[in-house]
Amino acid sequence: MDKFDKKYTRFEKARIIGARGLQIAMGAPVLISTKSYDPIDIAMLEFEKGVIPITVKRMSK
Amino acid sequence: MYKEMRLVDTVRIPPGKLGSKTEDVIKEALEEKLEGRVDKTLGSIVAVTKVVGIEGGRILAGDGGVYYTATFDALVYVPEMQGITEGNIVEVAEFGAFVCLGPLDGLLHVSQIADDYISYDEKNARLVGKESGKSLAEGDSVRARIVAVSLNEHEPRESKIGLTMRQTALGKLEWLEEMRKKEAEEAK
Repeated sequence: MDKFDKKYTRFEKARIIGARGLQIAMGAPVLISTKSYDPIDIAMLEFEKGVIPITVKRMSK
Repeated sequence: MYKEMRLVDTVRIPPGKLGSKTEDVIKEALEEKLEGRVDKTLGSIVAVTKVVGIEGGRILAGDGGVYYTATFDALVYVPEMQGITEGNIVEVAEFGAFVCLGPLDGLLHVSQIADDYISYDEKNARLVGKESGKSLAEGDSVRARIVAVSLNEHEPRESKIGLTMRQTALGKLEWLEEMRKKEAEEAK
């Protein structure tokens, strides 16, 4: 079961990192300190740290 | 007439502004989007005064912006049919005079100024009555009734408001004052 206990599915993860990466690319303030200049890299680091201010609304469960 | 309305609208917040306080950013975005806009059912939106509630914060695919649904208070000018307004004359033309009603200007056609033949005095840029000698020039204050409203949402400047002063108690404020004095004297 532990495999399915993760907070987000791989689809949600992709959507969150994608959306966050686009925000960063378009000038949103970065929430972590990093030397990276790649918005996708930054978004993935933020995702791992759990600091992305995005939640997923699930329609049914 | 000015009205205060509680409205709901969706605004896009660009990613660059996400760092600041949401409420301030949304107010700014609403001001930019709505102030100066003319709506057929609402009227002319003058100012967004207060953001009351914020809902959501949706992220759409392919757009880095965040969309919020906000409830807010706004100050709106509604030109109401048959409404009485006062204003100053801002421009005089051959066919009539333009009266500033606030956010919008109204047209007072020559035929609607007084029960008299009105001619245009080009040299002095004013309109003169043939029999009464009444004159109307830029800067005069008048009281008029709104008789036609045609708002253009896409081109607010193209909105047309028609006025009349051919009724009792309407006209240039000085004329009204004279009328009142005359009436008071006759009563004596």
